Amino acid sequence: MSDSEATAAEGPEVAPNSQDASSASTPDGSTPTTPDIATDVAPTRKARRRPDTKTSAEAEQTSKVEQQPPKTSSESTVSQGGWGYWGSWGKTILSTATATVATVGQGLTQVIEKAETSLGIPSPTELSTQVEDEQQQQGDASSDTDAAVGDGSSAVGSAMGMLSSLTSVVQNTGKTVITGGLDALEFIGKKTMDVIAEGDPGFKKTKGLMNRNATLSQVLREAKEREEQQTAEEESSDSEKKVVAHYGMLFDEFQGLSHLEALEILSRESESKVKSVLTTLSGDKLVELREELDHIKDSFSLMEFDDEDVDEKKDEDGTEFEREISEALEGLSVSSTADKLSKTCKSACRQITDMTHPENEEEESEEDVKKTVSVEDVHAAAIRSLAELTARSIELFHKVAEMILFSNSSTEAGVLSQLTVVLCKEISLLSKKFTSCLTAAGSNEKGDVLNPLITGVFLEASNSASYIQDAFQLLMPILEISHIQRSAESTEQ
Amino acid sequence: MAYAYLFKYIIIGDTGVGKSCLLLQFTDKRFQPVHDLTIGVEFGARMITIDGKQIKLQIWDTAGQESFRSITRSYYRGAAGALLVYDITRRDTFNHLTTWLEDARQHSNSNMVIMLIGNKSDLESRREVKKEEGEAFAREHGLIFMETSAKTASNVEEAFINTAKEIYEKIQEGVFDINNEANGIKIGPQHPTTNSTLPGSQGGQQAGGGCC
Repeated sequence: MSDSEATAAEGPEVAPNSQDASSASTPDGSTPTTPDIATDVAPTRKARRRPDTKTSAEAEQTSKVEQQPPKTSSESTVSQGGWGYWGSWGKTILSTATATVATVGQGLTQVIEKAETSLGIPSPTELSTQVEDEQQQQGDASSDTDAAVGDGSSAVGSAMGMLSSLTSVVQNTGKTVITGGLDALEFIGKKTMDVIAEGDPGFKKTKGLMNRNATLSQVLREAKEREEQQTAEEESSDSEKKVVAHYGMLFDEFQGLSHLEALEILSRESESKVKSVLTTLSGDKLVELREELDHIKDSFSLMEFDDEDVDEKKDEDGTEFEREISEALEGLSVSSTADKLSKTCKSACRQITDMTHPENEEEESEEDVKKTVSVEDVHAAAIRSLAELTARSIELFHKVAEMILFSNSSTEAGVLSQLTVVLCKEISLLSKKFTSCLTAAGSNEKGDVLNPLITGVFLEASNSASYIQDAFQLLMPILEISHIQRSAESTEQ
Repeated sequence: MAYAYLFKYIIIGDTGVGKSCLLLQFTDKRFQPVHDLTIGVEFGARMITIDGKQIKLQIWDTAGQESFRSITRSYYRGAAGALLVYDITRRDTFNHLTTWLEDARQHSNSNMVIMLIGNKSDLESRREVKKEEGEAFAREHGLIFMETSAKTASNVEEAFINTAKEIYEKIQEGVFDINNEANGIKIGPQHPTTNSTLPGSQGGQQAGGGCC
């Protein structure tokens, strides 16, 4: 199967899959709609139900797992495949992974280790140091998808062994799933955090919450509120506790939530306008319009994101990013927002440079001023940068949406999807740079201190990319209504 | 920072009356004479205290330009408070108030508290709209009224805070259903008072789960 086919197949294949799981796990147990896929999932469901003597904690976790699928399905109806490239497959695989992990019902590190070892995923530390190696491997493997899957070697092998029911899904997306560091974490990521978050405040953020039957901004708001509550608890209980970097709160601080909420409003209104236009049409005109809208939809589902490219060029100071952004945004009149985004990116790059080369400065007689950077500092900087960059990205999408509606200019979906790719790449690149920093700064730390921090950065990066892609999907109805209005104007003239 | 309530505000009014400047003065305590034209909507947030309670104001500063109206109207819904701003040195901005008010009432919830603001009170020499006229308009339409200066910060705090007080009173009276987010009010994260041993909100609902 070729690459593009695999990507295109994800959406339709994954969505019914999760719905099946949902209907099967609800008490009334309605019949699965697509039997062939249902059989695929069956072994997992058994595994999930096996333990009859659950502890209450396990019961809670399991019930949480069982709650997930319906939300997934409703989400996908809201945003029409709103889970972009990473999201849709990730969900299904991960709910399975979570189910497996949930029955284990152990503490945080055990769960992580369990997931990592059983899935054959390298430890976070390895991941971040392996970046260089992978780069070359990916370069070699890029010509052939099968080779790439094999290249993931033990990772793919054991993952498939354990989750054999998911083989087809893994094969479809195998290349990107296994070779990239981010993707590997995604594998244990979102859903697993539902479980992990139970035990560990540092991770109790946006993960797992994505399953709620809610809009994206609600999800983020909830996450932020939890963090706020947590902070309040920490303040009142123990002042000596370390300050944990809270992604959701920072994201809100940078007005990411507000822009997202506003973007959702515009998206929803456009969607209902499109629907009402469709109901007024009939016959050839309807068919014609539907074809045109499908064409727009296609551009939103065919987004390519190649993790390989990310490693290949090292954008040291963010100028490359700036160039790509301004290229993608030419003619959209959102330059001031784009500038903010570029500044954010550059400042993140600066921080990384500062943290990577503190030794040089120390040698230059600044020893007493410049102390070695602590892993907590690096982690906090990483989370902050990711939150800010994501917030700015969503602000940009919001402004783009407003400009499209305002000027009713013809905007190609391809341009926006290119923009999304650029943004996701940047997130990925930054997270890799930051984790390299973490590894360097934490060379003297024990694994159980360092690994959760590295995992945390990768997870927030993968979440950031998901948010950006979801925001991108919100633009679809806006392009649709803009297209409808433009063609209405042209027929009038 | 934890808060007891979150209120969503919108700022509306003709272009150039000083909406963005009012917001900047309120959130950042500074004045910026030359301001970029607002596109669509911009945001600001600040914490205030009313009746000993922390309240977070989430402010949606909308574009005043007529051409943006169809977009900005979308943002009215779900606001608990509105600042309707005119410029005391420009009669036309005052004349447009009725349109703004109709628009706001039509696209938002009926309980929304509206504060009428006559801005640029520092430019007394160029005044075109008497304070009494503003007061009369407010009285006629059931609004609260204030004259402010985003430049000198005169009455800016009061304008935002008095609106919040009015909303807060309405909550106390039970006019606002705080559980309906369409009213533009959200309850903040609850402080842990009793079961602080259980981490997170999950445990709170099913206390006694024996998870240790």
